[in-house]
Amino acid sequence: MINTLLKLSWVFLKIGTFSFGGGIVIIPLVENEVVTNYGWLTKTEFVDAVTLGQVTPGPVIVSATFIGYKVCGILGAIVSTVSVILPSFVMICLATAAIKKFRENKILANFLRGARIAVIGMVFDAGISIGKSSLVDIKTILIVVISIICLFKYKINPIWIILGAGIVGLVT
Amino acid sequence: MEQKIREQADKLYMRGLHVFARSADMESLELVAELWQKAWELYRKIGDENKARELEKSLVGLYKKKYLKVRERKEQQGSIIKKFKEWFMFFKIGCFGFGGPMAIFTLLQDELVRERQILTDKDFLEGAVLGDVLPGPVTMDIVTYTGYKLKKWSGAIISTMVFILPSFVMMIILAMLYDKYSITPKVEHVFKCLGAAVTGLILSVGLKLSKAEMKDYRELCILIWAFASALIFKLDIVVIVGLAGLVGIVIYHDDTEKQQVK
Repeated sequence: MINTLLKLSWVFLKIGTFSFGGGIVIIPLVENEVVTNYGWLTKTEFVDAVTLGQVTPGPVIVSATFIGYKVCGILGAIVSTVSVILPSFVMICLATAAIKKFRENKILANFLRGARIAVIGMVFDAGISIGKSSLVDIKTILIVVISIICLFKYKINPIWIILGAGIVGLVT
Repeated sequence: MEQKIREQADKLYMRGLHVFARSADMESLELVAELWQKAWELYRKIGDENKARELEKSLVGLYKKKYLKVRERKEQQGSIIKKFKEWFMFFKIGCFGFGGPMAIFTLLQDELVRERQILTDKDFLEGAVLGDVLPGPVTMDIVTYTGYKLKKWSGAIISTMVFILPSFVMMIILAMLYDKYSITPKVEHVFKCLGAAVTGLILSVGLKLSKAEMKDYRELCILIWAFASALIFKLDIVVIVGLAGLVGIVIYHDDTEKQQVK
């Protein structure tokens, strides 16, 4: 039991450390470890785990919770979730502290200035690629237009827009 | 004798003044009050009414300040509820972030920057830069970053936990159901609609953020380059953000300070 938990923790610490960019990118990495190396889950179970990870509201990485649960019950779920979060958590905190300290440093300030703009580019790119895969009919195009109007003109909380779109998807 | 007492009183008064000038927190205010009180007594002893009256006036001001401080401290204690609201915000986003990481990104921007003004657009983007360059989901990184900014390590731990909790609990429930009945929800159709909504949200957040950051043609160039290299050349996010940062070092190198908007 403890042995399995340690292995679980080790695998997810590794995944948490190398999941640059986050999201779907790391799925093949996880599959390699969990399905091929350790055989904790079958291939179908793994695909289901990822699907469930997308259904839950948080980041896809919560699939780790499912895998942990399958392997070792609730305890496994807790261990794997904490392990997968821990590396980026520590790094972010240290980096934030460092940025605060070197705020006056001109090189760092300029680096961040350039990088900030690239992030906006990434945002647009994400919008386009999500749009490409989900704009399939009149209804979805209407949803896009309505959500832009809602957010820009009426400043409605986006939670409502997401919930509304979800309900539309459920009903129709 | 009188001369000596006067000197001592002056000294006490000056010491109080120094402490007062250095900091204005509760402890030093108390110290100043004590010192000036002693000085006042000494002035009274040698019969220097003028100085004593002057000191009385200063003391009245000091007590007023102390009173305000105490009230402020009480108000801060009352703000535990306010803090709870802040943490609750992360919980809320953790509950409603359906539709992938970009949906959460929008929710965070809306709550943190527009609604609560905890972060500026610039801070928010900096969090996103860290999230892109460092491992882990970008959205969770932004949550941790904000928590750390608010209250150092404890803030980071609380915000991250609170943010992940809803999906953690939901996932455990789903896993239990899956174990028993081996079912997964059929959600493809719902996701199409969610994707459409998220597209709209993302585009408007992108426009908002560009409005905050765009200042001249150089920013526009970086933006178009980053956008194109992600969309057409499929470069890795880490590479794009890193390169843009390096470009930033070069092109802003001899920028005048006035353009560095704080």
